[in-house]
Amino acid sequence: MIKIKDLEKIYRTEEVETIALNKLSMEVKEGEFVAVMGPSGCGKSTLLNILGLLDDPDAGSFIFNGTEVAHFNERKRADMRKHNIGFVFQSFNLIDELTVYENVELPLIYTGVKPAERKEKVEKVLDKMQIMHRRNHYPQQLSGGQQQRVAVARAVVNNPKLILADEPTGNLDSSNGSEVMELLTDLNEQGTTIIMVTHSEHDARFSHRIIRMLDGQTVTENILI
Amino acid sequence: MFKNHFKIAVRNLLKSKSFSFVNILGLTIGMAAAMLILLWIQNELEHDRFYPKINRIYKMYNRDKFNGEMWAWSSTPKIMAPTIKKDYPEVEDATRFSQQSFLLTVGDKKLNEQAAFVDSSFLSMFDMPLIKGNSASLNGNYTIVITEKLAKNLFGNEDAMGKIIKIDSVDNFTVTGILKNSNNTSFYYDFLLPWSYKIKIKGDDQYWGNNSVQTYVLLKENASQSAFDDKVKNITIDHTKNGEKSATQVFSYPLSKVWLYGKNENGKLVDGRIVTVRLFGIIAAFILLIACINFMNLSTARSEKRAKEVGIRKVVGANKNSLIIQFIGESILVAFIAGILALVLVQLCLPSFNTLVNKQLFIEYSSFFFWKQLLLFIIITGLLAGSYPAFFLSSFEPIKVLKGSFRAAHAAVNPRKVLVVLQFTFAIILIISTIIIGRQIKYAQERDLGYTQNNLIYVFLEGDIDKNYNIIKQSLLNSGAAISITKSGNPITQRWSDSWGFSWEGCTEEDKKIDFIRMSSDGDFTKTLGTTIVEGRDIDPKNYPADSTSVLLNETAVKKMRLKHPVGMVINADDRKWTVIGIVKDFILESPYDPINPTMVMGPKSWFNVMHIRLNPAKSIPENIKLAEQVFKQYNPQYPFNYLFVDDDYAKKFADTKRTATLAALFAGLTIVISCLGLFALAAFMAQNRIKEIGVRKVLGASVTSITTLLSKDFLKLVLIAFVIASPIAWYAMNKWLESYTYKISVEWWVFAATGLISVIIAFVTVSYQAIRAANANPVKSLKTE
Repeated sequence: MIKIKDLEKIYRTEEVETIALNKLSMEVKEGEFVAVMGPSGCGKSTLLNILGLLDDPDAGSFIFNGTEVAHFNERKRADMRKHNIGFVFQSFNLIDELTVYENVELPLIYTGVKPAERKEKVEKVLDKMQIMHRRNHYPQQLSGGQQQRVAVARAVVNNPKLILADEPTGNLDSSNGSEVMELLTDLNEQGTTIIMVTHSEHDARFSHRIIRMLDGQTVTENILI
Repeated sequence: MFKNHFKIAVRNLLKSKSFSFVNILGLTIGMAAAMLILLWIQNELEHDRFYPKINRIYKMYNRDKFNGEMWAWSSTPKIMAPTIKKDYPEVEDATRFSQQSFLLTVGDKKLNEQAAFVDSSFLSMFDMPLIKGNSASLNGNYTIVITEKLAKNLFGNEDAMGKIIKIDSVDNFTVTGILKNSNNTSFYYDFLLPWSYKIKIKGDDQYWGNNSVQTYVLLKENASQSAFDDKVKNITIDHTKNGEKSATQVFSYPLSKVWLYGKNENGKLVDGRIVTVRLFGIIAAFILLIACINFMNLSTARSEKRAKEVGIRKVVGANKNSLIIQFIGESILVAFIAGILALVLVQLCLPSFNTLVNKQLFIEYSSFFFWKQLLLFIIITGLLAGSYPAFFLSSFEPIKVLKGSFRAAHAAVNPRKVLVVLQFTFAIILIISTIIIGRQIKYAQERDLGYTQNNLIYVFLEGDIDKNYNIIKQSLLNSGAAISITKSGNPITQRWSDSWGFSWEGCTEEDKKIDFIRMSSDGDFTKTLGTTIVEGRDIDPKNYPADSTSVLLNETAVKKMRLKHPVGMVINADDRKWTVIGIVKDFILESPYDPINPTMVMGPKSWFNVMHIRLNPAKSIPENIKLAEQVFKQYNPQYPFNYLFVDDDYAKKFADTKRTATLAALFAGLTIVISCLGLFALAAFMAQNRIKEIGVRKVLGASVTSITTLLSKDFLKLVLIAFVIASPIAWYAMNKWLESYTYKISVEWWVFAATGLISVIIAFVTVSYQAIRAANANPVKSLKTE
């Protein structure tokens, strides 16, 4: 599903040049659950941003579902992203002014889904995430675990091919964290490809494969399943 | 999507109540001010333009050279209209228009009202809106067409049609038409009389040299105005070839342009009121812009609050355009709320505004066009206010904002500074203008009038006053109400008559073109009016019977005529010889802003229209008026006692400039209020953003004063920059405005210094509250929060 080759990303300021990704290559098959680990500053988040089409590389190739997307412009990236990729963030990133229902509905609005169909999809996914009873609540009225379940619901409501999770349990206690990991595992078992950045060895064990990074390159790959 | 955007817009408004309040208040004030000005502008643009045949109606003007300058003026001979109608086939119709006051009597009711003498074609030419009657309503000799308002005043709720009104206690007229009340027209009258009555009261003449009425022509459908002008230009010259030769040419001018483009400049009609209309348009645009700038500043300053939302929306699939649409939609929503509130505010302020601008502005709520215009205005305001914040907010990159380290408040700082500078630049220009206009008014008010205004009234010679003048005069003096009385051709505050073509020994052909203002007196001119004789003596027919053809010249006339020994010389005028018996010190008859023109005060062989009465200073004014009223009631019983105070009349000359000054002050005040609203909120936000820095500084020993200075100085710098930009603009604009006055002040440096100081003080007071509050905050709390 994903093939990246010799990916480079350099951040430049007036005084400093930082190589975030240094000719990084990797492949992710459809249906895989991959964990990306590494120390702070190794380039994990940069990799995730490029995989999520939130950023573009300075050099290299990135083939997503058979299409070369490395040098897509902002519009094309946004289009590809909204139809194919869901995001789960460490800090949940729900919109505080929207209810649970409205937050989950948002991706469907941007993909032009009609209201009746939106209602059906949102309710289905809220039910699946066991958060339906809080549909009219605002994020600040929910616990951390509940907020992350809403975030996951939002990420999957459009049936994306790929979910990118950036430290999804980072702000949760172990109990809620396990719950979220089980949700992700379930989704993966139903066929969704998941790439997860994590510092937690515990969370990484839920994946099929662990890729370890250092200084913008992959250093090891452990296949767990 | 629209529902989602609307919901979040409303929730955001409710979430940040104080920010929303400041934003909406600022926009409301700005929009209300702009709406009032736009109403005024619309009224000005519609003046005299609503007549159905307006594209074919022209006003006739004269053009000639006087005192070395070309002049155009719209008073024309009474004979012009009928001559044009008879001799020019391209003219479909023509009418005269001449105003005069009359006493109207219906039963016990007596009212002094303004008539207009017109030809019978007047009603059809202008398609006057008759409630009752038709275009033939003035065809009869003793017919009268009255306004709705007059009908109500005379007849109450009764139908006025067919009723009889007595005019000047002499003639009975039948009401044959009732006109809808109209404003916004140059035709000011309470009732219309047929021209035949003017002939009957010997008010008509065939003299081409007597310019005393307005003439309007209606050209035929395909007639060319320029071709007509080519033919008609020498009409006066041709009719005076064999007598008193005139060099005056004639031209037509579209009635639709008279109100706005009627200023004479070297014999051409150019910009007039349109300059003020344009200026007010610019002011309206600027006030709205300033309100929108507030919105922009506050929205971008608070952008950090929306940054996360922008990031999330982009991640889940929003593109930049949809975000722009969302944010512009929000600003249009705010503009909509502000627009409705502004409409309420406008309606509340209209009565006061109408008094200020001397108009009858109103909002036509039943007009679909009005609601369409309002909607467009709201949308444009929303677009203007929301465009920059929309583009700014939608440009946030999700990867930067979602990590939580994005500091949006530091973005767009420079554009915000520019916007604050722009706001205060405009405010400072208006403050400087207000001060200078106020000084110019004061300067003119303090100008030496050349006569004494106090305790001086005038009365029109209506009814039996002229017939009983001598006994009235004696009775007034005997009663102790007055100490001196003189008859005159016109009030001392108004120019009613001027002539040229006078000659005297040693005069040149060019001198015969000198235009003299004409007054008259039956004696005691100086004693009554308080003027000063600088050479010779006053007109005194009692002791000098030959004074019936005497004349006083003012100092300017003597200079213009280049006379070395004026007293005793003879001036030929009106087929008479007038002997100069005295020179009077210059006095102001016309505008206090203009130089004094050559003036002649002619003896009793001239004509009279008013009597000036110098009230007795030993008695109170009410007492004098009461005594005078008794005398007039006795000798002019048919008429109510109507009098005017000369000082009140003179004060009207400042009405226009005072109105301009009040409006300038009002706009300056509004601009300051809106700018300070924005500055206040911005200061609050900036203080909040620097809470950690302030906490650290306090821990390290900074005083409240030093922190207040730290937070205030950035804003004060911006105000000073605004002052530097505004000053030359204001200097240029005010000098340009003062150019239209001959008698004027100079623009002095201290006005700018004072304005700079005022602006800095206002800005400091505005931001200091937030600065002092932040400086007094407990550093423990602020550092803990961070």
